[in-house]
Amino acid sequence: MPRRPGDPSTLGSVSYSARVAQFRFDSVELPSSVPTLRAELRAFLAAELPATPAHKRANCWAVFDAEFSRKLGARGWIGMVWPKRYGGHERSALERYVVLEELLAAGAPVAAHWIADRQSGMALLRYGSEEQRTRWLPAMAAGTAYTCIGMSEPGAGSDLASVRTRATQVAGGWRINGQKIWTTHARDCQLMIALVRTRPEAEKHAGLSQFLLEMNTPGIRVRPITDLVGDRHFTEVFFDDVFVPDSALLGPEGAGWKQVTSELSLERSGPERYLSSFALFVELLRVAGPDPAEPLRSLIGRASAQFWTLRQMSLSVAGQLAAGRDPMIEAAVVKDLGNEFEQELPRLVQAALDDALAREGELARVLAHLLQVAPSFSLRGGTREILRGIIARGMGLR
Amino acid sequence: MSTSASDVRAEPRASGVGQEERALLAETVSRLFGDAFVRAAGQQERATFDAELWAQVEELGLAALLVPEAEGGAGGCFEDALAIAQELGRFAVALPLAESLLAAQTLAEAGIARPAGALTLALEVEAASQLDPERGLFTGALANVPWGAEAAGVVAVLGTGANARIALLSPAHAAECVSGANLAEEPRARLRFERARAESAPAGAGAALRLFERASLLRTGQIAGALAAALERSIAHALGRVQFGKPIGQFQAVQQLLARMGSEVAAVDCAAAAAFRAADRGDASFEIASAKLRANLAIDLCAAGAHQIHGAIGFTREQDLRLFTQRLLAWRGELGNDRFWAARLGGEVAARGAAAFWLDLTARADAQSGLRES
Repeated sequence: MPRRPGDPSTLGSVSYSARVAQFRFDSVELPSSVPTLRAELRAFLAAELPATPAHKRANCWAVFDAEFSRKLGARGWIGMVWPKRYGGHERSALERYVVLEELLAAGAPVAAHWIADRQSGMALLRYGSEEQRTRWLPAMAAGTAYTCIGMSEPGAGSDLASVRTRATQVAGGWRINGQKIWTTHARDCQLMIALVRTRPEAEKHAGLSQFLLEMNTPGIRVRPITDLVGDRHFTEVFFDDVFVPDSALLGPEGAGWKQVTSELSLERSGPERYLSSFALFVELLRVAGPDPAEPLRSLIGRASAQFWTLRQMSLSVAGQLAAGRDPMIEAAVVKDLGNEFEQELPRLVQAALDDALAREGELARVLAHLLQVAPSFSLRGGTREILRGIIARGMGLR
Repeated sequence: MSTSASDVRAEPRASGVGQEERALLAETVSRLFGDAFVRAAGQQERATFDAELWAQVEELGLAALLVPEAEGGAGGCFEDALAIAQELGRFAVALPLAESLLAAQTLAEAGIARPAGALTLALEVEAASQLDPERGLFTGALANVPWGAEAAGVVAVLGTGANARIALLSPAHAAECVSGANLAEEPRARLRFERARAESAPAGAGAALRLFERASLLRTGQIAGALAAALERSIAHALGRVQFGKPIGQFQAVQQLLARMGSEVAAVDCAAAAAFRAADRGDASFEIASAKLRANLAIDLCAAGAHQIHGAIGFTREQDLRLFTQRLLAWRGELGNDRFWAARLGGEVAARGAAAFWLDLTARADAQSGLRES
């Protein structure tokens, strides 16, 4: 192969002082209140979480339990960082992080309030009117008001900006027509924050707005979709001439795209992005006993190193969010690596187990469940391909 | 390694040189090693002892970074050493500086005077080796000693259990020195001694393992640096190399591979930073094992990916990519390969039991947060 002197990476021609923009994963110091907080949570979970089989503890942020959410709310563990005047508790973002990771590690059924706590509440605090905040935030923090996300549509998955659900201005409000899909637990939520097109003539990203849609509004119809394991957590939602008042608009008209993209770091870096298979690991440890032979021994070691590393990364992003930064690329990195690991673990466990263990018992059940649901981990909240595009952009490639 | 919630030792080792000085240190070594790298450009042989650079390293007092100020060192901590380790990897520095840092630290802890010149570590002491501490004589062999032929002194833990001692030997006194190299052509020597002079001091329990862990920690920092170098070159190449009428970095397949590499490098950076920090704060066995293993796991995708992106030119000695990829492949096998750390970690985690894993994982970080407040 001929030498190409003009080639930028040929020996001697690279500027070695020039470095690629490095992703930032500074170490985080947890607040000194954390050990006490953990102890409180663990005592609460021991009392309130009935013995649950491992396959119900896996991927537990998809498990809806209104009663459990109410109890959490009563303890002040929902809306922890929100202002007290809206029912929040003005705790730090890192304290909230600790609560999330404890709940997920224990396999608690947190789906009911998860979206409100993670995204909807923050959206209302950032963009909502005083009326919207006082109406919804206290109930969300109490664990009694649940929200869902109305983003995806049949023709708008990863290409979210091509949503076609339409809001037309009418006297005193808006009339909404169209359809959302993959909306999780829509039947059990009181509120949807929906991304819809308010100006069809505008440029793709500019004509979008978000609305607060109360799910009992006439004209909204919800149809459950059964997933491949037979669960019915996601739905499609139809809007047929749904009238909402002007006060249902979130922030200014046309700000929808900016609003949804600013949520992405919150949505992508949390402990739910690497802990979905944690229940499988705990069950594996139980079955393996104190002195496992190979290949289980090395598998346990490898998974331990991954859990530890991913937790450091996820914590670091939480620390940056707490410091007021928007680490969007780092959040994408955490989600991509976290998903890869929570998908890899079931595969590795299946490959390493003896036949009998893989067929029967609690370990076999949680393994079977995760093998089937794992493909969804790298779809929900931004597909792997979209995330890697974001990361590539962060590296100066696009 | 089996650190439970209660026995995480919250005893700060050294306060280090401070945030600002640490940034300055990183900048200084980066410039120093970067200049040396450019100076060596065009040389086929990139693994001979760089005496000119060593003189500069000595002048700056870098080799004594981890030695307390009272003993003539810089009083630095492991977090400070991370900056040096990363730059060593980033510029494929042909010096036993990581080894010297630890050798000097170990000698200072043992109260043995530090000789002039580059030092190294011997972590593999061959069976039947004998130290006679009374007479100060050593007969035996040290295998796989990095830069063993070039170093002025070699530090080893000799003997086991209560008899373990930190010893300083001089390669110049070796009866035989068989020079070898790892697959990246970095010197690795076997030194055989016959009644050679050995200064020694009692080592304390677990000294050999602790030294091995520290060496593995430093190497993890070097791996992070070499991974970053391979990634930087891959990005630069993807942006400059035109095929089908556009830079190959504009093709999604190439972007997605680079994104994966970037994420892996970020994971190793993060793991290394956390492990170095933990090492300053007490028992870091779990963190070091996890970080080295995580670094090992990143090498497959990153080294192979860098070559894939570079095409045939990266597979030659006309291009410097191989300086990093060859080191990465060698370093993955040294100071604990995947199997070594995975089995070790797995054994410890399993022995603690299913209920302890999460408690232990969180207790480490929590103990550290308490440390800061106190």
